[in-house]
Amino acid sequence: MRGIYLDPRTKLFMIFVVSLIVMSNAVTPLEWTIRILLTAIPVFLLITEGKYASALRFTAMYAVSLILMRSFISEDSKGLLSALLVGYCGIVVQFLPAMITAWYVIKTTKIGEFMSAMQKMHVPDGISVSLAVVMRFFPTIKEEYGSIRDAMKMRGISFGGGKLSGMIEYRMIPLMFSCVNIGDELSAAAVTRGLGAPIKRTSAYELRLSTRDIAVMAVFTLSACLFIGAKIIG
Amino acid sequence: MKKMINIEVQNFSYKGSASAGLHDISLHIKDGETVLLCGASGCGKTTVLRLINGLIPHYYRGELNGRITVNGIDIPSAELYDLASIVGTVFQNPRSQFFSVDTDGEITFGTENIGIDPDEILKRKSEVVNELELKPLLGKSLFELSGGEKQKIACAGVSALMPDVMLLDEPSSNLDWKAIEELKKVIKHWKAKGKTIIISEHRLWYLKNLIDRVIYMKDGRIEKEWNKAGFNSLTSDELCALGLRPTEIEEKYIEEFGRGIFSTENIHPCSTLSSESRITLKDMFFTYKPQKYFIKKKKLNAADSADYTLAIPELEIPRGKVIGLIGKNGAGKSTFLRCLCGLEKDCTLRLTSDEETVSGRKILKKCYMVMQDVNHQLFTDSVEAEVMLSMDNEDKDQAAKIIAELGLAGYENTHPMALSGGQKQRVAIASALAANAEILLFDEPTSGLDHAHMTSVADLLTELAKKGRTIIVSTHDPELISLCCDHILCLEKGRLKYMRKC
Repeated sequence: MRGIYLDPRTKLFMIFVVSLIVMSNAVTPLEWTIRILLTAIPVFLLITEGKYASALRFTAMYAVSLILMRSFISEDSKGLLSALLVGYCGIVVQFLPAMITAWYVIKTTKIGEFMSAMQKMHVPDGISVSLAVVMRFFPTIKEEYGSIRDAMKMRGISFGGGKLSGMIEYRMIPLMFSCVNIGDELSAAAVTRGLGAPIKRTSAYELRLSTRDIAVMAVFTLSACLFIGAKIIG
Repeated sequence: MKKMINIEVQNFSYKGSASAGLHDISLHIKDGETVLLCGASGCGKTTVLRLINGLIPHYYRGELNGRITVNGIDIPSAELYDLASIVGTVFQNPRSQFFSVDTDGEITFGTENIGIDPDEILKRKSEVVNELELKPLLGKSLFELSGGEKQKIACAGVSALMPDVMLLDEPSSNLDWKAIEELKKVIKHWKAKGKTIIISEHRLWYLKNLIDRVIYMKDGRIEKEWNKAGFNSLTSDELCALGLRPTEIEEKYIEEFGRGIFSTENIHPCSTLSSESRITLKDMFFTYKPQKYFIKKKKLNAADSADYTLAIPELEIPRGKVIGLIGKNGAGKSTFLRCLCGLEKDCTLRLTSDEETVSGRKILKKCYMVMQDVNHQLFTDSVEAEVMLSMDNEDKDQAAKIIAELGLAGYENTHPMALSGGQKQRVAIASALAANAEILLFDEPTSGLDHAHMTSVADLLTELAKKGRTIIVSTHDPELISLCCDHILCLEKGRLKYMRKC
């Protein structure tokens, strides 16, 4: 069912390198090649996970932006349309690869694995536990927000009942109340199950870096070195 | 026999709260005993459990005079994390007691916290999975599970810590009949393993054969105590007088809930209604997995309805009656309610009442749902503003009338969040009345309520129906159906199973 299994540490490294390279400016053909190659890897991984639709959507958007940018926009293009195009393509080309990588990592990593990886990297429990809570809260917020939006629809106040401030107020206040309540009950439940013990947490997930992980890391390290080298020489 | 739990508390009061304390509690529980704590909401059941698991005084602060020991450990001076492997707690709300996103992580969460060796963790996990029959739930996201399944995972997470004492705080509040059976199995299993079990609960019928002793609490004191035989010999009227829900469910509701909705018999057509005034629902089709479309979305229709989540070609609902909507978890009760109040815009429902047919967004005006968690539908800073928000033309007199009608007079300027659960529910109903909704839908309005509150909800529903509103109430409580429903509407797999008079 699962595609290519990677260690969470490899995935974190991948996010780091992809963001580093994709966000910096590429000029020479070599730099562009590295950049596109690195963008292709997370897309490929997404395909192995069976997320064809998002991979396709992303590739199409990325390709269109890249072509537009390379062929139609030059330094002396003027006018509103080209300004908008530069903005749009710039955002897609610079930020989307990092976002799609992060999305891939979030979709394929279990919280337990993530915590275990953080422990292996000697990150303090306080930080890894808080990050885990944040990850656990995203779906909760989504659920709560969905219910609140339904309630607003029934009341006919989706647009704030005529007040601009209402649109935000009516959404945020119930959302905050329920998140605070859930958070409070959640921490009571967590402390009765030993959270906060002054001993080293253990983990049910035994993480080991496989040859596959090492290979992936090597590819990323190499690309990063090449890219930085090209920058320094160029 | 060894005393497992000793509580001698002269006094306890929560910090910053005048009510809901405890007085003169003297409770001794033997090793391996199963004890039921019962009593009206706010009688102090939960507070007693918090004394045992150490949440008082370590998490909830307050003034405590007294001694509590569990297995020889003095609770107020122990650390919470040391208690984790001695006292385990299953809480009321399945939504807010899990910490992970996936089931596997949730089962091992506690054992990881107290630093157990990974091999031992995996051993315990597979043991718990076998004992509680959790195989089918492994590797899933907790957000996809039903309330009953979540509650089972919560039991497993506690079980993996291997505590001697198990506390359950109204564990069945959000569960259907089948899930309660599963919960009962878990409790039985713990009992067989010799655990000391304390359950605080409003629903009593499923526990009557499991318990050894019953403690009845009132206003923070222990008022009465029975052994099993003594408790089971109480009549419904006696229980009622104490404000407790009945332990005996009438035979016909066992039929309805036990065999009726879980039978695999063919779905038989509904009986036709007599000539009363009615509301007609037509073409109620909806699916969560619509066909992929390229340019034009295909309209849902009867011909393709075999795979739909909800498919009810035609249904007649008597006007001005209370209709109980039943069915097991996942039978489509919530989907039915969501479609009926117009929240699912792809639903093809056409609703006819008074020779007027509405569909699409206009249904939102006709129907109003009081959600299970009413906190989601209170938006403003006072009860009056809440009611006025629903009106097309703000009318103070009309608002005051509605508020008085629902027994909320005097609370006009109170912040809705400062009200009790039952009052909040009534504010939500008030806003539905102000919006002039003809059909009122209730999603599990009595989950977690004690007998008195349940009766008052039942009375309110009857009252609303008398005034001409049509009420559809989805519920797992046979007690509620027996109190107020005129008709029963049963769903199975999104299809109408039957509709009949009570």
